[in-house]
Amino acid sequence: MMTNRHSIPVTVLTGFLGSGKTTVLNRLLSDSRLSDTAVIINEFGEIGLDHLLVTHSTENLIVLNNGCLCCTVRGDLVQTLCELEMKVSSGEIPPFRRVVIETTGLADPAPILHTLMADPAVTPRWHLEGVIATVDAVNGAHTLVAHEEALKQAAVADRILLTKSDIASADELTAVRYQLRGIAPGTPIIETIDGTVDPAAILAVGLYDAAGKIADVRHWLLREQQNDGRNIAHHHNHAGHGKAADHPHDVNRHDDRIRAHCIIVEEPVSWTSFSYWLELLAAMRGEQMLRVKGIVAVSDHPEQPLVIHGVQHVFHPPVKLEKWPSADRRTRVVFITRDLQIEELEHTLRKFGKADRVSALAVP
Amino acid sequence: MKADLIFINGSVYTVDAARSWASSVAVADGKVIAVGTDTQTDSLKGPSTRTVDLRGRMMMPGIIDVHNHHTRGGQADLYETNISPTLSFEQVLAVVRKRASEIAPDEWISGGIWGSNIVSNLYKKAARDALDTASPDNPVMLRDDSQHSRWVNSRALKFMGVGSETPDPEDGEIVRDPDNGEATGLLLERASTLAETALAKTVKDAAGRNMSSTRRAVQILNSFGVTGYQDANTMLPYLQALSALDAKGELTAWCVASLPAHQPLMGTDVFGDELIARREEFRSRHVRPDFVKIFMDGVPTTKTASMIEPYTPDQLYGCCFRGEALVSIPELARWIAKCEEHGLSTKIHCAGDGAVRDTLDAIDVVRSFNGPGRMHQIAHAGFIDPADIPRFKSLDVIADLSPIIWYPSPIIEAIQAAIPEKRSSRYWPNRDLLEAGVLMAAGSDWPVVSNPDPWLGIEGMVTRRNPKGGFPGALWPEQALDLADVIEIYTRNAARATGLDVLTGTIEAGKSADLIIIDRNLFEIQSDELADARVLSTYFEGNLVFERD
Repeated sequence: MMTNRHSIPVTVLTGFLGSGKTTVLNRLLSDSRLSDTAVIINEFGEIGLDHLLVTHSTENLIVLNNGCLCCTVRGDLVQTLCELEMKVSSGEIPPFRRVVIETTGLADPAPILHTLMADPAVTPRWHLEGVIATVDAVNGAHTLVAHEEALKQAAVADRILLTKSDIASADELTAVRYQLRGIAPGTPIIETIDGTVDPAAILAVGLYDAAGKIADVRHWLLREQQNDGRNIAHHHNHAGHGKAADHPHDVNRHDDRIRAHCIIVEEPVSWTSFSYWLELLAAMRGEQMLRVKGIVAVSDHPEQPLVIHGVQHVFHPPVKLEKWPSADRRTRVVFITRDLQIEELEHTLRKFGKADRVSALAVP
Repeated sequence: MKADLIFINGSVYTVDAARSWASSVAVADGKVIAVGTDTQTDSLKGPSTRTVDLRGRMMMPGIIDVHNHHTRGGQADLYETNISPTLSFEQVLAVVRKRASEIAPDEWISGGIWGSNIVSNLYKKAARDALDTASPDNPVMLRDDSQHSRWVNSRALKFMGVGSETPDPEDGEIVRDPDNGEATGLLLERASTLAETALAKTVKDAAGRNMSSTRRAVQILNSFGVTGYQDANTMLPYLQALSALDAKGELTAWCVASLPAHQPLMGTDVFGDELIARREEFRSRHVRPDFVKIFMDGVPTTKTASMIEPYTPDQLYGCCFRGEALVSIPELARWIAKCEEHGLSTKIHCAGDGAVRDTLDAIDVVRSFNGPGRMHQIAHAGFIDPADIPRFKSLDVIADLSPIIWYPSPIIEAIQAAIPEKRSSRYWPNRDLLEAGVLMAAGSDWPVVSNPDPWLGIEGMVTRRNPKGGFPGALWPEQALDLADVIEIYTRNAARATGLDVLTGTIEAGKSADLIIIDRNLFEIQSDELADARVLSTYFEGNLVFERD
């Protein structure tokens, strides 16, 4: 199954309570480039829309003065998306070209992502564009340790917006960046001031941009490893983060449990076997896989790699690329995991994925 | 320590590791304290010791039945219309007609078991019409010999709220006449639940009835020499009945319970995770909720078993139908891993060789991810691809055999009609399993068979023939086992397979005094007389729980 490129992109905006997600959303909504956006706010959301003139309202659906639609999730997300679609068909609301879903600050975003990635009522007409997480530069390091939800939000993100970076101390910034590198290696981090962010930088981050190209593959495949994966192991010694290396482990306990692993297979794989292995991983280790992203060389069409991504036990249908994004034609999959040993990935891939020449790299 | 009870002058087959014989067994506090010669146990005799002279008779450990549905067996005995699986279609109707004439209108006629051999009659609306003629005013629900199908009349469909328009439930089928689309009254797999639920609603004091059924079931088991058993699908009300009975001191057998992972055909709201979470509520000395039951497929007679090679072509399924597994390999692996995490083993129903293979694959997945774990049982392990036999051993999987179902009989005839001869004749590779070092245990599957008589199974495993006659021939006779191996399968191995081996399964010092006295020495008779063996006395924990008049 492949994603329909004519489906409507959905961006999920997540972030812990007080991390500035609402401010970011407000800034985005006032940008004219987003005038054809429908915004879905979880009913516990705290968005303040008072300053935006409300021109029309039916039930829980409001049309903002910039033309955006805004509604809250009653019932479930699937129902809300269907209602939006029906209202467009009946002419009740104007058509829109994208959807932004703001999750509640306390939510684990995984269920929403699962719906968008795999619910058969959703996937034909909507697709998960990307996940944006706001992380508060001042309190982030603490929040990521203290709150499981915050950690999951960052782990599944395609972009992390580091908010309040203008008021954070250098130490706080270093600490939060250090934390994020363990939880979300390779995920671009964008510092924002007062919630201002260029929509282009965060709304076309997923696997499927308008042209059907994969804009983001390189980001999460960790550039450093493309030539020599062993470099990853030295990641934490990079210059400029000297402070982080000294960072006390007591505030960084996730280091012990949250790990990014990268699996590389030299030869093209049988998709039947490889996808069976992924299915087994999802069944046996779903809870321990916060996020999986990768590019796979398949023996049936080695020139058109498949892009895979999954959150916990749910995988998005694979997306076939027209061509490889770089000269490296190897299968590379990054796993952000909790309490998962890399050896397990490696030997189960050999056995059930029927892949030889597998190497596995731990990313600290 | 002095003995409470000493058996002397017997032929005591201990089924210990050396398969040794003794003449005397001494019992104290419900346990065996010594096994040996009469002289050796003599010193244990005290003033209050009772001595039983076995007069040369054979004694052996109590039998363990690793697969039955005891509550339903007891219930069938106490409350239901008894139909023998050898009856013809017309004969079944006659039984129903007679019953209908005896009871008040709208009272249910429920019972079984009809033989799979009449199933071909039930794919036409005429089948329902015939049952309606036999019982126009009473709802009828008859279970088949696989217990996976039901045959109901129009009155029952009305009580069930089912018409010809009703869509099939998931994993079930309300069979319809291909000529006119009308329900024929045959309900396959999960469609059976609709009938069972409607019937259950009419039962007053279900709890009391379950307790009586359980009590009766254990009496029947004890009368055949069974002192331990594994219930193969123990639903919440059955657990409650077991637990209540044990609290009253009336449970005279070890009962290992298998909690249903999925909603059982019989209909109950509590299963899977919810029931697993509650399991310790029901644990007692003799009630051991240590297994989870998972169904991988249906049964070959209705072509719901998952087979590696296609079934014999027919009109309904065409040329290349293989049945299908109910649970995917990753999903099953996840279940097994979860059970192991809870300290539970699984009993996995696999009637077809495809289901067996998938299950072994799933256990392989669990072992590959999690390393060695608990033993699991594959139930009804009859169709096994030769390549899969050694995997039982390497993956620590037990074969739960159902010998009473498979010697030449109506069910075998129905299986042979459904599956090409090349495959159906190679059914129950017991000798191959033995030689591969696989732990085998055996169960009755009562009330799939009309009583849980293990002696039929014992003879059948030795002779590969029907002990009752009437169905000539032997099924794959090369796979016959020796009596000593078969006895082990029914005692010592069964104890290992159910996790009861620290308690029972052999006659050895320290084990529970679960002892049976038989009217003949099994090793001194012809193999076709094994099923004639009668249990004279059954002792459970040193207490006499059955004595033949």
